Amino acid sequence: MIENFKISLKEIDKINLINQEDKNYRIKNLEFFNKKGFPTKKEEDWKFSDLREIFSKNFKKIDINDTYPEENKFRLIKEFDHNYILLINGRLIRSDFKFEDKNKIKITGYKEENFLREKSNNPLICLNNALSNEGYNLVVEKDYKFEKVLVIYNLFNEDLSEKILNNKNKIIVKKNSELHTIEYTINRSKNKFFNNTYENIILYENAKFKNICIQAGRSEGYFHKFLNGSIKSDSKYSSFIFSSGLKFNKQDIKIDLEGKNSDCEIKSALFLNKEDHQEIKTVVNHLVPNCKSFQKIKSVLDSNAKGVYQGKIFVKDIAQKTNAYQLSKALLISENSEFDSKPELEIYADDVKCSHGSTSGNVDENSIHYLMTRGLTKKEATQLLINGFLKEIISDIKSETIKKFVENKLEFQVYGY
Amino acid sequence: MNNQDINTNQEYKYGFTTDIENIRAPKGLNENTIKFISKMKKEPQWMLDWRLKAYNRLKNLTEPNWQKPKYPKIDYQNLYYYSAPKSAAEKPKSLDEVDPKLIETYKKLGIPLNEQKRLSGVAVDAVFDSVSVATTYKEELTKKGIIFCSISEAIQKHPDLVKKYLGSVIPLTDHYFATLNSAVFTDGSFVYIPPKVRCPMELSTYFRINASETGQFERTLIIADKGSYVSYLEGCTAPMRDENQLHAANVELVALDDAEIKYSTVQNWYPGDKDGVGGIYNFVTKRGACRGKNSKISWTQVETGSAITWKYPSCILQGDNSVGEFYSIAITNNHQKADTGTKMIHLGKNTKSKIISKGISAGQADNTYRGLVDIGKKALNSRNYTQCDSLLMGNKCGAHTVPYIKNKNSSSTVEHEATTSKINEEQLYYCNQRGLNQEEAVSLIVNGFCKEVLQQLPMEFAVEAQKLVGISLEGSVG
Repeated sequence: MIENFKISLKEIDKINLINQEDKNYRIKNLEFFNKKGFPTKKEEDWKFSDLREIFSKNFKKIDINDTYPEENKFRLIKEFDHNYILLINGRLIRSDFKFEDKNKIKITGYKEENFLREKSNNPLICLNNALSNEGYNLVVEKDYKFEKVLVIYNLFNEDLSEKILNNKNKIIVKKNSELHTIEYTINRSKNKFFNNTYENIILYENAKFKNICIQAGRSEGYFHKFLNGSIKSDSKYSSFIFSSGLKFNKQDIKIDLEGKNSDCEIKSALFLNKEDHQEIKTVVNHLVPNCKSFQKIKSVLDSNAKGVYQGKIFVKDIAQKTNAYQLSKALLISENSEFDSKPELEIYADDVKCSHGSTSGNVDENSIHYLMTRGLTKKEATQLLINGFLKEIISDIKSETIKKFVENKLEFQVYGY
Repeated sequence: MNNQDINTNQEYKYGFTTDIENIRAPKGLNENTIKFISKMKKEPQWMLDWRLKAYNRLKNLTEPNWQKPKYPKIDYQNLYYYSAPKSAAEKPKSLDEVDPKLIETYKKLGIPLNEQKRLSGVAVDAVFDSVSVATTYKEELTKKGIIFCSISEAIQKHPDLVKKYLGSVIPLTDHYFATLNSAVFTDGSFVYIPPKVRCPMELSTYFRINASETGQFERTLIIADKGSYVSYLEGCTAPMRDENQLHAANVELVALDDAEIKYSTVQNWYPGDKDGVGGIYNFVTKRGACRGKNSKISWTQVETGSAITWKYPSCILQGDNSVGEFYSIAITNNHQKADTGTKMIHLGKNTKSKIISKGISAGQADNTYRGLVDIGKKALNSRNYTQCDSLLMGNKCGAHTVPYIKNKNSSSTVEHEATTSKINEEQLYYCNQRGLNQEEAVSLIVNGFCKEVLQQLPMEFAVEAQKLVGISLEGSVG
């Protein structure tokens, strides 16, 4: 079933289209997806995550989602003041910017014309290009700094089962502006579904954008997100990924450093458990001189979990004085866990500082021994060390309340162990 | 740095050709060519069958295309698969009977073929185009029970050993170039070290491609039986021609319990001229199996030649406590392309591997490290350490690192680190101040950069390799 999975072209007719050109573009993309199917390990980008195999093991059937419930009661985060937008199954339901100057912010639902018709060889991006019809557009006008953090509640409702959701989001931060978001996923469905997101981020001159990605709890959902970022001069993008507890998650991040002195940071701390499979794939393109990029990925892998990190730094011949760094560290604490990595450098400029490191292994036995001599049990010692290992990433979050919030979520995952 | 000087080509001192009459197989790749090769080698039927099996398999294979260096399509039907010096048709019994022109060629190459040169202490098997020309020190080695001969001779004299081990590390059904080699290989070296014997001298092979429009397909098989030790050296050169020549060799190593094999290569095939015309396509498959407990295989390579180098000497660590090592220097200048690295496949318990790779690119060259470290589920308490450093000279060249790291159990540790940088200006300045010119300074710094690998080479090679490092980079900095 999943092996020869095909989607009828009729699905495209269900979407409210703007014009024939859009339709043709969507048909072309769907035909490509139908030809390729879900990606397998034969494709270089999916070498360590054979999606077709994972899907055929876990899904008997899967359809395109067409239900978008109206409003669900949900609890706001109480720990800190924040603005929010609410998405249900990817559709923008409402937004609240009570702490901000509303003239400086534009928020709308999915709009076809906001996206370029790009060609892709990734079957999942093509699937998204063909069928996406929900999502949001957020524009922060120039010279505006957000007072409070913006929480994006990404809610999936109870009835969701064996469905594919395709959505497209776009965030634009204009000149001299600042935005800080928390993408907070709440999954009410106890069933399996597949959420396929395409996100486009544009930071104009001297803009700053920081995003934290975190879950409310464990989820049976399968997630794929492709992020296409374009960073202009003097601007800075930072991303924290704490997406522990998802059945399958692949974050495919592509950042183009297009302006001088631009900066990109990707940090992640993951605790994977119970057959979780997570992959972080990054491509950071240094296209102009004097840019900086920094990546630090830390993973702890427990029973049957699999973690993957594929990171690539590309430095164009004119991008002199580049400073790029990449580090991936993994702790394997269960016999059946697996960690695969492919930290890649492709460098064409000589006056650069580029390095990467990747390690994987168990918790240091000497450290455990030391803690046990101080009266801790082996389990406590292990937990303490794991917690310390992951907390290093959290300590980079500046706001104390948010740091505390993330810490609690993470601790809950580690001490559940 | 002066970019204009980057293109100046270094001198390739092995670019001469030797005028020797050749016997060639008819052009083209087909069953008849394979039968011809087998007949010329007076091979038994089983060997011919083996070749034909490989050829049939080849028909269903396509050339791999994932590697970084792209090359124009090779016309396999327009190649000679067998070329041998005519005088070798009747095998010489001693060096006196070898064609004096051949001896002269090897003298030019500086290879100690002459048995009188006992001081050099290296036993040599020389392969000229496709045929093993002479093997030295035979008697002394025979006393210890060591077999060191050409693979053709081994097929006739030691068929049991060959049958048992040939294709056991690189199967017939491997990738395109390995299978091509299995079908048409012409000669190469065979080494067998009996149990508990420590080979008293370095064994060495020198390969040379002489004739034009030929591909060289040699096959090397080294077996170290229980508790034995051998160190093996390999060197290669080719004349300067403006066509690209294909070199697709297979090297198989087998180390049984407590055995150790050290395999060193100094590869200096003709790299093409400064505009990237000509040069050797070096598509080589090298693989070693640490089959026994506590066995060890160590690869050391200095890659300075070839238009395109594409090779990944690998270790399959099957035996418990076995060790795999890979030390590599790859230098590319002008239009050279190198895509090289290793595979360390950990299967046994307590296996260890170490990878040290140094890549240097200058001119318009591209240098890629591509490697795999795969720690299996049952390879408990295994360990890997990988270090890849790249040095870039100028902004027209590229340095790439593509490691694949898989760790499938929690008791094993894998570490990988890589850096990319250029030559430190302060170091250059310091050397200049002390009276070294720019070129000497670069050579000194690069030799220092490569030191960890160079010191793994046996004495005789280390001196040569150090010079080679200097020569390869001549003219790369202004």
